[in-house]
Amino acid sequence: MIGASVPADSLLDVLDARLRLLAALSFALVVVSSRGFLAPALANAAALVLVVVARLPLDRTLHRLLHVDGFILLALATLPFSTPGDIAFSLGPLAASRQGLAQAGLIALQANAAILALFALVASLETVSLGRALAGLQVSPKLVQLLLMTVRYISVIEREYRSLRLAMKARAFRARSDRHTWRSFGYLFGMLLVRSFDRAERILIAMKCRGFDGRFPVAEHARFNRRDLWCGLGWLAVLGLLIGIDRI
Amino acid sequence: MTPPLFHLAGIRFGYDPSHPVLRGAEFSLAPGERVALTGRNGCGKTTLLHLMLGLLRPQAGSVEAFGAPRRTEAAFRAVRARAGLLFQDSDDQLFCPTVAEDVAFGPLNLGKSRSEAADIVTDTLTMLGLAGFERRITYQLSGGEKRLVALATVLAMAPEALLLDEPCNGLDAGTEDRLITILAGLPQAMVLISHDAAFLDRLAHRRVELRDGRLI
Amino acid sequence: MHIVDGVLSAPVLAGGTVLAVAGIARGLKTLEPDHLPRVAVLSSAFFVASLVHVPVGPTSTHMLLSGLVGLALGWAAFPAIAVALFLQAMVFGFGGLTALGVNIVNMAAPAVLVHYLCRPGLCRAEPAALFGWGLAAGTLAIALSVLMVGLALAASGRAFIPAAELIFVTHLPVMAIEGLLVGAAVVLARQVKPGLFDFTPVAPAWVEAGDD
Ligand SMILES: Nc1ncnc2c1ncn2[C@@H]1O[C@H](COP(=O)(O)OP(=O)(O)O)[C@@H](O)[C@H]1O
Ligand SMILES: [Mg+2]
Repeated sequence: MIGASVPADSLLDVLDARLRLLAALSFALVVVSSRGFLAPALANAAALVLVVVARLPLDRTLHRLLHVDGFILLALATLPFSTPGDIAFSLGPLAASRQGLAQAGLIALQANAAILALFALVASLETVSLGRALAGLQVSPKLVQLLLMTVRYISVIEREYRSLRLAMKARAFRARSDRHTWRSFGYLFGMLLVRSFDRAERILIAMKCRGFDGRFPVAEHARFNRRDLWCGLGWLAVLGLLIGIDRI
Repeated sequence: MTPPLFHLAGIRFGYDPSHPVLRGAEFSLAPGERVALTGRNGCGKTTLLHLMLGLLRPQAGSVEAFGAPRRTEAAFRAVRARAGLLFQDSDDQLFCPTVAEDVAFGPLNLGKSRSEAADIVTDTLTMLGLAGFERRITYQLSGGEKRLVALATVLAMAPEALLLDEPCNGLDAGTEDRLITILAGLPQAMVLISHDAAFLDRLAHRRVELRDGRLI
Repeated sequence: MHIVDGVLSAPVLAGGTVLAVAGIARGLKTLEPDHLPRVAVLSSAFFVASLVHVPVGPTSTHMLLSGLVGLALGWAAFPAIAVALFLQAMVFGFGGLTALGVNIVNMAAPAVLVHYLCRPGLCRAEPAALFGWGLAAGTLAIALSVLMVGLALAASGRAFIPAAELIFVTHLPVMAIEGLLVGAAVVLARQVKPGLFDFTPVAPAWVEAGDD
């Protein structure tokens, strides 16, 4: 997909894309509903296996995990201090509880496992297969079309953004914390939008010239075959195991 | 002999290591001199200009500009304040709503006040025969007008050297003539990329050709 | 402002998902096929904005542009933002699948509200007042989103309340800057392409706009 290099052929490629989407979703649901540490820890191991099987570059995939929003870090960092319980350590007047630390650690494990599985199972799909899979799962064709068009425009807008930004740099622009900077960024984005809208209109006209009448054909997809069935059942067994481990 | 404004030695560069664009390019630009840079499409002319301003960094070789070696972003920032680059596509260069704001952008980056910038805008536009264009919407100008405005945005920074990337691309004969007259009257040293023999004949003092990653 | 998997409680996740589906359905219902390319442009701009780091004092923030998306799209902001957030989760690992619904509602609902609160004024505004309306739209959209993020956290556990308060305070400068950016973008758009914000999901105004 965008930005990420398309991985080499992997074993996952033979599977139905709908199955991969459902697998990622069910995995995330099972992982976030676990209470103990063991199940999410095993889920991380399982997700890592998937990453390897999907032949994603391990270093870059793990690097992407580090891009967590600052506010999530803030939420996790305050949790030990705001959760009542046995004191684990204290920072000045603030006391961190064992329960709060455990809670923050659990969230980090869960988020990690869910996103790794998403990378391995869904993000490694070709955009077109992903669109087809979503349509196959009864997602509105308009929404699927919007997704496909968005993926297409992202690279266009990003390229235009980079070339404008380079030209600004050539004119000695330096992003600072001042109004000149913020106004310039606002103009930059306004200009990107104006240009992209004009381009979108030209694309629409070209689509109409090729007979587009406002309806999108629903793409057909491969039949769910025996291999998909077995893999699906295997996946359910893995999920069942994770749930079972979490209960005991 | 006066020292050169730019001196590039042994420059190697490739966007992707397996396809080097420049392999040991040497280039010098003396004060006041107008050098034509020619070569086939895709041979790396634009790349060379971007290397001169540190918009790209060479994988080997050195860039010396205005009497000092330049390696770091901070060092190149000073270079960009003293050498102006006219982009191959003016649409890549212009992003403000009005001509006046776009021309003022560079001077404001150089630390000029708003009123100083406004004076520079008027002077620069007048010099280029664009008086009265201040409030025009850049996006709605014709291709030739956009090119002249882009030149104005560069000249407004009072650069000591001009790097012009295919300045007469897509201009009609009349506008090209006007551009030649303007450029011939400017004191700055220039690097001129062009495929137009007549344009280069009238402006360039010497020519270099980029071929197989080297300048000859 | 992407909440990750594992933070929110089941009722909050379920509620967010239901609201997101309803909002997307509402947005798609009135979305003309002819408008899809434009909606896709805004959706991609929203996506790309997250790559743009703008300095704020000693730190930096990335842009969100939800106010701008809302001004332009109204209810169609729901599908536009949904698509962008889904892609951001897959490409960058922002958020996650289970929290996707809540994240969509947190970003898109303020965008829709801003559309109804600020667009009428924006369309009628004199050039001098234009920036003000854009500023209001940009600031309000982020302020409401941060508030909703805080509410989602607080509803998932009392222990998150201090975090929610801290998040709101630390995002005050982000709100202001996003407002300035959207203000400038709106000023530019009005001057460069006056019809830009005149299209609504209901009436294909751009068809007529193309003639003049
Ligand atoms: N951003 C880029 N990424 C990858 N390759 C590039 C990029 N820009 C230019 N190139 C490649 O580098 C070579 C030189 O490009 P360029 O300097 O633009 O050539 P010229 O200006 O002489 O036509 C070309 O083969 C071009 O395809
Ligand atoms: Mg070139």
